[in-house]
Amino acid sequence: MEYVLKNGIVYDPTNNINGEKKDIMIKDDKIVDNVSSEAKIIDVTNKIVMAAGVDVHSHIAGPKLCLGRLYRPEDSRRGVKAKTDVTRAESGFSIPSCPATGYRYSKMGYGTVTEAAVPPLEAKHTHEEIMAIPNIDVSPLTLFGNNWFVLQFAKEGNIEDIAAFVSSWLKISKGYGMKVVNPCGSEAWGWGGNVHGIDDPAPYWDVTGREVIRGLTQANEMLGLNHSIHIHPNDLGHPGNFQTTINSMDCVKDIKKNSDVTRNQTLHCTHLQFHSYGGTSWRDFNSGAEPVADYINKNPHVTCDIGQVTLDETTTMTADAPMEYDLYKLTGLKWANKDIELETASGLIPVIYSGKSPVSSLQWAIGLELFLMVDNPWQVVLTTDSPNAGPFIRYPRIISWLMSNERRMEMIENREVHKWVEQRSALTTLDREYDFNDIATVTRSAPAKILGMDDRGHLGVGANADVAVYDIEPDNFDPSKAANASIVEKAFGNALYTIKDGRILVKDGEIVKVVPSKHLWSNVEGYESEEQRILNKIMPQFNKYYSVKFENYLVQDHYINPSVEYKINAGK
Amino acid sequence: MKTITLTPKKFSSIALEFEELTPDDVYNWNKEDFEKYQVPIGNSRFPLTNYFDIEVEGSAEGPQDVKMILDGDMGRVKYIGLGMTDGEIIVNGDADLHVGAEMEGGSITVNGNAESYAGREMKGGILTIMGNTKEYCGTSYIGEWRGMTGGIINVHGNAGKQVADCMSGGEIYIDGNCDILAGIHMTKGYIEIAGDVTRWPAGQMKNGTVVIKGKLNNLLEGFEPEGIISNPEINGKQFQGKYIKYKGDIGVNGKGNLWLNADKNRSLL
Repeated sequence: MEYVLKNGIVYDPTNNINGEKKDIMIKDDKIVDNVSSEAKIIDVTNKIVMAAGVDVHSHIAGPKLCLGRLYRPEDSRRGVKAKTDVTRAESGFSIPSCPATGYRYSKMGYGTVTEAAVPPLEAKHTHEEIMAIPNIDVSPLTLFGNNWFVLQFAKEGNIEDIAAFVSSWLKISKGYGMKVVNPCGSEAWGWGGNVHGIDDPAPYWDVTGREVIRGLTQANEMLGLNHSIHIHPNDLGHPGNFQTTINSMDCVKDIKKNSDVTRNQTLHCTHLQFHSYGGTSWRDFNSGAEPVADYINKNPHVTCDIGQVTLDETTTMTADAPMEYDLYKLTGLKWANKDIELETASGLIPVIYSGKSPVSSLQWAIGLELFLMVDNPWQVVLTTDSPNAGPFIRYPRIISWLMSNERRMEMIENREVHKWVEQRSALTTLDREYDFNDIATVTRSAPAKILGMDDRGHLGVGANADVAVYDIEPDNFDPSKAANASIVEKAFGNALYTIKDGRILVKDGEIVKVVPSKHLWSNVEGYESEEQRILNKIMPQFNKYYSVKFENYLVQDHYINPSVEYKINAGK
Repeated sequence: MKTITLTPKKFSSIALEFEELTPDDVYNWNKEDFEKYQVPIGNSRFPLTNYFDIEVEGSAEGPQDVKMILDGDMGRVKYIGLGMTDGEIIVNGDADLHVGAEMEGGSITVNGNAESYAGREMKGGILTIMGNTKEYCGTSYIGEWRGMTGGIINVHGNAGKQVADCMSGGEIYIDGNCDILAGIHMTKGYIEIAGDVTRWPAGQMKNGTVVIKGKLNNLLEGFEPEGIISNPEINGKQFQGKYIKYKGDIGVNGKGNLWLNADKNRSLL
């Protein structure tokens, strides 16, 4: 099938196209530079055309989601929508049903979403859920930061073994890249504790976050994975944690990037908002965004996504189990906790972020400060750490905040947020506004680049035919007006067209076609003998401590159909 | 005044859902509107007229002028009066799950038994059940920690388990007996049980008042006796006889009041 998207205003930061009137041509599942006369013309005159969105960090599939749905039936009744001729019934707000997750991302014009935390033991479950989520490609990140074998090898400083283990475990879990959550802290939770800062050793293992982060980063660059190490640093959500965040970013500064990868960073720091807090307690809690943003501005080896608080009632779910316990003690609502054997832990609680609450409001402001203080939009990605700071369906609202200083000031003046915003953050001094090109950068181009996915996030010839068209005419529309914020939100939430692999999935904000999602995974080649060596080495411990047999631990190929295999030439 | 009468003519073993048929929704409907209406049943919709003979008399300016008579067995009709703000609904038979749930005003009378979740998350109005009701009367939604906040529920028969879970306002009166955990997680409000109670009333109560006029088989350990009071005044009402007053649940540092009829609970004296 061939299409021409005619006369749209194209924003494609990867190819330096900033709001030019241009036709986009599609043949089958790729962008091309010419099509036959048979091509179907889609008139999108003067409308915004971008590559389909790419999400670098979202929790959409896996045991945490299932636990959330079981544990929060009251969330499931929000967002109930009847089936249509095309779609299944939907339910849920912060933890939508699997089909609803796909539909809602698709309606926002997204085509690729990274599932941010997959314990290998639960990888099968994650891939099963991805099979139930339609319309988006999903790249799962496998958890390594508290894995017993990694802790052991990091303690020994044995980078070769870490690399072989990671290479093998990405194959086993069919993961796309490496995720690290509260390194050593989630393991310490097995002893009922946590670690503070990157130099506080985990009990028994006597290894620190610094050693784990460095070891995994070195292994990542040794293998040359498409994505860098993706880290949720220690001390999430604790006042005064900004120094830990800077230390975490700085501890890999000297590690050389693999020369063949297309990304620029060696470390991606996720949901930075939760890690940029000043003060010493909730009483004197203030913004630590400035030093963190300043560090990122001076250090191109780091990228981040924000985890913007959206001021909703939502659900938090993370492998950072000790943090969830702290949060549970703070809120007094309900709490679920899980131990993932040799790999990690997880926790889950409902959270109400309210504009009336000083802490929530300041978290909201810190997220926006980071968006506005990090100068280079290629180092920032728009996320809500969905559903932790808010559900992903709020991305369009965040876009409206980023594009309008007037709207932000209106929220502060109308007391939609607490006065701590102006008292304890610098948000009111920041009048920077994102333009549509910046928005395209932080929602598509930058995340694709950061993930090392050259086949998406842009509209150059040869790219995947993943395109979004939004019902805004940028040439006669001023997104900086507060009154237009709701129009921006509506347009980015209801794409005029979402095209995925050359197929029209959304038209006029409605799902018109449902296709299976692809599982994106990294296959390291040329490391097989090393992998076998490490398997032989660890199998005695595996057999002794895991509750499953190795044969049942592997994610077999039928769990990942259809899939896209990213071949990694190890050590190239 | 508008009187809407629905008389059942065909039984559906899959429940019908009446959440779109409250006085707020139908006060300006005429007979033709009802005849056009398709009622949700399971995952589909079917004409309401398949199941009911419908009569509409008079006119209404708003829901306050509406009297709906559901004239027969509604034992497979869920969500009767869901979220209604005004008007009157009379059920001349049994009612299925969630009758009067999220109700904000007006009144519902069930001249039969009600299934579980009667008056769930009620905010206002009056729900009267002439027969028995099952579990979770006047509670929160499953998983939800914010429950009933206002209104009055009168149960003339017996009530099942977990009456008023997470209640934070309103009043519940049960003339008959009550099963386990009445008033669990309660933070405010008033529950009066005229009959006997099996076990564990007011578990993890933070505040509010539960009065039991009958015999209680099993009291939770988290309640500390504060004394015996003759003819106490509770919630603005004089009670005859001696009552044992408890404070609890101390397990959650609660300041709630639990009153037990002393004569019926001599073993606790």
